[in-house]
Amino acid sequence: MLAPLSWLKEYVDITLTPSVLGERLTEVGLGVEKIEKVDGDVIFDLEITPNRPDCLSILGIAREIAAIEGKKIKYPKLKNDLEKIKAKKILPLTIETDHKINPRFTGIIIDGVKVEESPEWLKEKLLKINQRPINNIVDITNYVMLELGNPIHAFDYDKIKDHIMQVKLTRGGEPFKSVDGLNYRLPKDAVIITDSEKIIDLCGIKGGYNSGTFDSTKTIFIRVPVEVSLLTRRSSQALGLRSEASSIFERGVNAGGTIDALKRCVDLILELAGGEVASKIYDLKNQEFNPWKIKLRIEKLNKILGIEIKETEILNILERLNLKPKKSTEIITVTVPTYRNDLKIEEDIIEEVARLYGYNKFPKTLPFGEVPITEIPYFKNYKIDEKVKNILKSCGFSEIYTYSLISEKALEETEISPEKTLRIDNPVSLEYEYLRPTLKSNLIKALIQNKPNFDEINLFELGKVYLGKNIDDAKEEYYLSGISNKKNYYEIKGIIEIILFELGIDEDVNKNIEVVDEGILFELNYSKLLEKMTNKKLFKQLPKYPPVIEDIALIVPNEIKTGDIIDEVKKQSEVIKQVALLDEFGETRTFHIVYQDMQKNLTRDDAFKIRDKFLKVLKEKFDAEIKK
Amino acid sequence: MEEELVGIKNAAISFTLECNSLEELEEVKLQFLGRSGKLTQTIKNIATVPLEKRPEIGMLANEIKNIIEETIEQKHETLKSEHYKKRKEAIDITKPGIKPKIGHIHPITQTILEMIDIFKGIGFQVADGPEIETDYYNFEALNIPKDHPSRDTQQTLYLDTRNSKVEPGEVILRTQTSNMQGRIMQKIKPPFRVIVPGKVYRYEQVDASHGFEFWQLEGFTIDKNITMSDLFGTLDYFIKKFYGNDTKVKFVCHNFPFVEPGAEAYITCTVCKGKGCTFCKRSGWVEMLGAGMIHPNVLKAAKIDPNEWQGFAFGTGFSRMATLKYQMDDLRLLTNPDLRILNQF
Repeated sequence: MLAPLSWLKEYVDITLTPSVLGERLTEVGLGVEKIEKVDGDVIFDLEITPNRPDCLSILGIAREIAAIEGKKIKYPKLKNDLEKIKAKKILPLTIETDHKINPRFTGIIIDGVKVEESPEWLKEKLLKINQRPINNIVDITNYVMLELGNPIHAFDYDKIKDHIMQVKLTRGGEPFKSVDGLNYRLPKDAVIITDSEKIIDLCGIKGGYNSGTFDSTKTIFIRVPVEVSLLTRRSSQALGLRSEASSIFERGVNAGGTIDALKRCVDLILELAGGEVASKIYDLKNQEFNPWKIKLRIEKLNKILGIEIKETEILNILERLNLKPKKSTEIITVTVPTYRNDLKIEEDIIEEVARLYGYNKFPKTLPFGEVPITEIPYFKNYKIDEKVKNILKSCGFSEIYTYSLISEKALEETEISPEKTLRIDNPVSLEYEYLRPTLKSNLIKALIQNKPNFDEINLFELGKVYLGKNIDDAKEEYYLSGISNKKNYYEIKGIIEIILFELGIDEDVNKNIEVVDEGILFELNYSKLLEKMTNKKLFKQLPKYPPVIEDIALIVPNEIKTGDIIDEVKKQSEVIKQVALLDEFGETRTFHIVYQDMQKNLTRDDAFKIRDKFLKVLKEKFDAEIKK
Repeated sequence: MEEELVGIKNAAISFTLECNSLEELEEVKLQFLGRSGKLTQTIKNIATVPLEKRPEIGMLANEIKNIIEETIEQKHETLKSEHYKKRKEAIDITKPGIKPKIGHIHPITQTILEMIDIFKGIGFQVADGPEIETDYYNFEALNIPKDHPSRDTQQTLYLDTRNSKVEPGEVILRTQTSNMQGRIMQKIKPPFRVIVPGKVYRYEQVDASHGFEFWQLEGFTIDKNITMSDLFGTLDYFIKKFYGNDTKVKFVCHNFPFVEPGAEAYITCTVCKGKGCTFCKRSGWVEMLGAGMIHPNVLKAAKIDPNEWQGFAFGTGFSRMATLKYQMDDLRLLTNPDLRILNQF
């Protein structure tokens, strides 16, 4: 929202410098994004949060400044008193509305206007805030909306066929040409006004071309409505069509302000375009739009804020905000003007006091009281992640984070069916359409990306994958995956074994390792590992007796698996504590064997007897011979 | 005999001092203190001294033995250190060290761990929750009903609901880690202090400061007397711990549907220290956190009585916090697996 300082000054005396005022406005909640000096004026660009439609008007912003500065608001003075004007002639008009879809319909007919260019001062004002001047009538409606915050639309009375206005909902698909000449197909349940043959208004969003105010227009009907936020928002979204009016309506217009806006508008029209009032003031509604009351407990305010603000100061702040505070014992009752429809509950009033008191005057304390110790649901122990990542780091692996969303192509490259993968209905692009069920494809891509710059590349990611073929059985799990273009199978296997050892898990990891074109890849279901993890590291007594250690070279046919040999050897005696492959060359594999009896001193002869036993078995099973 | 002993002492000391190597010193030691060394032999001869003089000679001999031993020991120390010095001098210490090949931990992880550490210190626990989320926990439980205008600022990615029992639009990728507020509040009774680091998703075109996937840190606490001053104090503590004590924090009023009163925290730009630079668009300040006192409707949705309990919540895009900390000028650097970036961390 753009707000020129000169315009703001029409309603409030401003003593603060623009930069200080900017800071204060930001502090109270109107974020100043830019302060620009233009032709001797200063223009504030403000971010208005959705809860403050009242600040989508210059007067609304002036009210905030008045509250900051502790000044009174000067409302625009009117030359004509509309209530007292007696229309000389009454033009006919039939209005049929439905309060459910149009809570308030305020309007009036003015006859004999002269549509022409606006005077310079008006054009200048509009141009300053990037509004294109059109003609005096349209400009006045826009000006009053920007000034007071109530959107207004002027119809060409003579183009309203049979002078009938019916407010209704669309069926969907109706063509509509807006006043600025663009064509739309209307969605279902948009609020429109029809005359006896056509749609003349898309309520709250845009007027119709067929009933707009142009140079030939002589008689106008001014409508100042209250629209239903939800309906405006839905139609505006469905059409992808936003206007200043729709922004105000979808956030909630000042329902109590239609008559004032109408008066201001008519006053300017009579002054700048001439003509005379030719109807009563229409004001169709089924409820009064009166200010409402909210009770504020001083004790509650102090309890929420954690400070004690003096009662006089609370009252002063509420007064400055035009909330008419009335105090009785420990309760302050405020009366909320209809333009502040964001104020509904006690907490809202507490915020009003706090923001004007100044957030930066609060003391900075830490929560006191007992520190909760019960483990929360969804608890996650990041210490374990840290440990695992540090192991991988010390093994030469670098951590990457990649997108969870991947393309169909990436799925196909890892031979996963897109039909069985969770999919986004409205992806930002086809590159990011599916939720990854594996980390593999991103790791391969990352490795390839690094190839031009690095010879050895070791990467890992600990991240979520998304499993299940549709939402009903969707499941998120953490995977730990890595890739290396230089480390061999056994090095990768060893690294995973170290990780599992650290987690206290003993299981075969071969199923987790894959040989791919780019190197060796591993993928572990980390969530499952965390479930299996045992934290019990218990001390085992050191052996009291010395071991017998020997290295044995065996000639074994190539097709025999080392793991099978080791298992077979271990099976032969409890005394064999360790069997490890030391070396291999051709058909010869050298094993390092540790014999150890925990109960007594083991002699070499004892050990050799065991050795003879397993050599015999190895000969029978694998045709293995000891190398002489 | 006395003279002989003194002569041995003098000889031993001068030989010792003349030694140039540990080997020579070892020889001197043998020559005097060894089994057939001069001193040892002389001491054996004490038996031949007249009885009345024996104690005196004995004491002298012992004293001399001690002096010789001490001198040799001292010389040993000197020679040893010279020996190592020489060995090191033979090494070209100006050559670079040979580093073991280790990898790098990603700055996102480093940031998460650091934040967790800070909040653990003040009694917060870490939670982790689903990214595939229902509209209810992501929006409705947070006082953001359907058609609420604030949904516009959180454009949502929806999951394909074909072949499932789920209504279209009901299951989404969470747009904020605040989804964990409702999930946790419904499961345990206050008091609790929680932080939730995690990935969130928005329907947004990617540029230097936006992404469709990024990271947030959510925090919330509920107890009987949690105040807005506690919120400001906690955030101030967090920011100063994370960015350094010289960082200033300021708070402004802001509206988020799930808090009331609501606030936003700005910090002095970490790049220019508040002087104004391209990072902070010359303002000296950077918007950092959204926060506030938990809205009574959020408490009510979780069946927590707002008359008895109150609390605060905050959220921050920590992808942004991380990039600001490491002075990275583009959020996309965090998801780029280029080792030339990662090797810097």
